[in-house]
Amino acid sequence: MKVVKSWPMWMLMAILVVALLAVGSNRSDGPRTQEDRIDAISKRLACPTCDGESVFVSQASAAQAIRNEIARQVSEGLQSDEEIVGFIEQRFGGQVLLVPRATGLDALVWALPVAVFVCSVAGLVFAFRRWKRQQGGEATDEDRAIVAALLSEDPTEEDYR
Amino acid sequence: MSTEVAPRKKRLAPYIAAAVGVVVIAFLVVLAVSSPNESTVSSSPLLGQPAPEVKSTTIEDQPFDLSRRRGSWVVFNFFNSTCVPCRQEHPYLLSFYDNQATAPTPAELYTIVNDDTDGAVEAYFEANGGAWEKVRDDDGAISVAFGVAKVPETWIIDPNGFVRLRILGALTENFLDEQLTRLQQEFEGAQ
Repeated sequence: MKVVKSWPMWMLMAILVVALLAVGSNRSDGPRTQEDRIDAISKRLACPTCDGESVFVSQASAAQAIRNEIARQVSEGLQSDEEIVGFIEQRFGGQVLLVPRATGLDALVWALPVAVFVCSVAGLVFAFRRWKRQQGGEATDEDRAIVAALLSEDPTEEDYR
Repeated sequence: MSTEVAPRKKRLAPYIAAAVGVVVIAFLVVLAVSSPNESTVSSSPLLGQPAPEVKSTTIEDQPFDLSRRRGSWVVFNFFNSTCVPCRQEHPYLLSFYDNQATAPTPAELYTIVNDDTDGAVEAYFEANGGAWEKVRDDDGAISVAFGVAKVPETWIIDPNGFVRLRILGALTENFLDEQLTRLQQEFEGAQ
């Protein structure tokens, strides 16, 4: 198998992967029932009185009340999913969102891991190069003298014991 | 033998450890200083906004519509008969209700029943007093409209129907009276 070595090919592959992920994540699932919408919205919201549970799975009364409100707004048919999520967020605060928004201070949640990853990779590349430079230096006259001295020595019997 | 002194390496670890230590100490100080038994005036995007629509019935099956209370100061107390802080603040609500009877601009106090049954609420008020109206919130719509996740919470709505104050947690003695008086003075000053 031929190994792809050239960086343009790697770049092309990376762009292709990102494009496919973007298309896949934004792909419409087609028509949905009201139940589908209620489930999808309640999966995006955190139960305000429990730890780490979504409104979809939680049995807490606050989560039940939010599910009822989602169902009411969905049945009215006047609000989009985003608008319903925005309504609940406005009432209970940003902590009710299971997936933080990519705007304002919340954007740090998305940007920081990427920044840390990029910095880490850059740091590793820098460190590897420095180590390589330190290890792969030219032999000095002193080094050559040591090697020559060792080569000129006659092997003794002790060397073979 | 070489006499060269190796360059001193910058050591980051002590600085990082010191920064983490400062954050942890600050966190502990905040925990130690905060008092769990204090009424807390809290922010809400509803403050200064028209109050959400509230239409329901009382546990005596009388209709309740917040929009018909315009012209009066309205106090909503979100309540559950099994909630310990709700029980703790009840004496202060009783004294607030009594004080309003003789106040120059009396406020109307309503209990919003949060995730509780009519029977349990009736039994509680029969045993502990409190002659004000108790409004049903069976599907949680009122709680969601006000963003109430935990009880007790107390809200004040002015005579124009605008939300003026949100109090998280149990009320302390005279806190509600003081806050209402302050808001009424501000309101009259602005008229």
